[in-house]
Amino acid sequence: MSATLIDTSSFRDVFGELLVEIGKEAGEVVVVTADVGKSTRAYKFGELFRDRYFNVGISEQHMVSFAAGLASVGAIPIVTAFASFMMRAWEQIRNSVARMNLNVKIVATHAGYSDHADGASHQMLEDIALMRVLPNMSVFVPADVYDLRRCFKRLVLDVRGPVYMRLGRDYSPHITRDLDYECELGKAQVLREGHDVAIMGSGVVLHEALIAAEELEEMGISAAVVNILFAKPLDVETIVRIARKTGRVVTVEEHMVYGGVGGAVAEVLAQTYPVPMKILGSTSFGRSAKSQKELIEYFNLGRRSIVKACLELVGHGNR
Amino acid sequence: MVRGDAKPILENIEVEVDRIRELNRNAFTNILLMQKHDKHIHLRSSLSCLTLLSVLVGRYLRRGGDNTNRDWLVLSKGHAAPALYAILAEMGSIPRAELSKINGIDSMLQNHTELSVPGVDFASGSLAQGISFAIGIAAWIKRVGGSGRVFVVLGDGEQDEGQVWEAITHAVALNLDNLIVLVDMNGRQLDGKTDEVKPKHYIPFVWKAVGWRVLWADGGDVVSLIMALEEALESDKPVVIFAQTHHIDVAFGVEHVGNAH
Repeated sequence: MSATLIDTSSFRDVFGELLVEIGKEAGEVVVVTADVGKSTRAYKFGELFRDRYFNVGISEQHMVSFAAGLASVGAIPIVTAFASFMMRAWEQIRNSVARMNLNVKIVATHAGYSDHADGASHQMLEDIALMRVLPNMSVFVPADVYDLRRCFKRLVLDVRGPVYMRLGRDYSPHITRDLDYECELGKAQVLREGHDVAIMGSGVVLHEALIAAEELEEMGISAAVVNILFAKPLDVETIVRIARKTGRVVTVEEHMVYGGVGGAVAEVLAQTYPVPMKILGSTSFGRSAKSQKELIEYFNLGRRSIVKACLELVGHGNR
Repeated sequence: MVRGDAKPILENIEVEVDRIRELNRNAFTNILLMQKHDKHIHLRSSLSCLTLLSVLVGRYLRRGGDNTNRDWLVLSKGHAAPALYAILAEMGSIPRAELSKINGIDSMLQNHTELSVPGVDFASGSLAQGISFAIGIAAWIKRVGGSGRVFVVLGDGEQDEGQVWEAITHAVALNLDNLIVLVDMNGRQLDGKTDEVKPKHYIPFVWKAVGWRVLWADGGDVVSLIMALEEALESDKPVVIFAQTHHIDVAFGVEHVGNAH
């Protein structure tokens, strides 16, 4: 496992490539964006398929309801914008998309701290909670660009109904590159087995989790790491199985500690197999910085914070 | 642009007008029936757009054909759902017996439309989303060369929503010639008269300036609506018909109707 290597692949560049691939394959796929075609790389689709590319201007609310209309008449719209401003259309996602259970794929880029320079307004840390709470909605959070490659086409073409895909902007360290698994809606992946504590989480912070697990191993503590690719539907079976095995769970995500993946895991475990837990996430708005990695450390989601949380649980659990 | 041959619009027009008037009268009775069974229906907004819907459904809406070759009706002002139900019952799309059950715990008829009701194209209840939704439908129909047309019924108060601005500017950019919007100008919104809540006299001019073809009609008069719609169907750009309906509750003889909320 080459967890310490940094990949130069970017979420949005891979997203642009995947749009082109799927555009060639499926004529009913259309792309809708709100004046962020360049930043999201949606324009790559637009260059090849002009009549299936709709740039609605800076109008997120209209964009979402418009896409719902496209879906109701038989197209498969992929709606893309920055996660922060996609949430401006939350109520449209609720009433125009989720309530009618329409086949709209929402791809929110620049999520978490990935738009490091732009600061609090652009750093979306509440979207998993906002999307997870909606009936009919599935929520996909790839750990890295390899998860995105594995899952994208399947989620667009094989899953009927709305899916929210939460992507970062560029930063995508190696997490799942060397792993061989098929993407399945609602299935989590165990990245590393362990029996003292489990680190469960979503997104690029799993890179920090894997390094934390290595450091813990040097201290004689065996930590499992679970990649929760789907905040919804949640892989209850895997979560409970690993919780039973380890007896302690730390969750980590680039999201508020309220209502995110940690909250989802806690909801499941509290009702099936309660274990001591720590939920690592944000508790405030973000800020500008020189890199996403710097922000991950600054807001206590880095390897040191994960190791510390695991040690606290192991120290207080009944090992 | 003139489409097709000179359709004999006036052929049998008296019979046609009488038929739609009868549909409208029966639908009106249906609304009163629903109101008798549930005081929470939005009576005034249902009545003010009833004649618009009677004309649209009774004369224009072609429901046969696949998704891109049939017409769509989007009731963007969704609180007028009872008006649509009243007409759907007359057309045989839903059982008449359902009407008296409206808003009941086991009724298919919700106070705002859901897709599960036959004849309903849009789940309504949140204002301004319907017009964007309709533009999406019209855009895809146009892209695939379908013959379907999209009709939208929009409120006047509804146009306080910023999303309407986002939507109407986009419709013009897409040059949608298969989209017709009817605005129910009843002069009322939830808190009172539209002019008292926020004046709207400039709204038709905004649509015109943006690039819409703007037409006018008496929203309580079947003939006036038919004339406007016939003209709208010939347009090569999106059309909005501002239908005056502020007098409609008087016309139906039901003055001083309160709010449902």
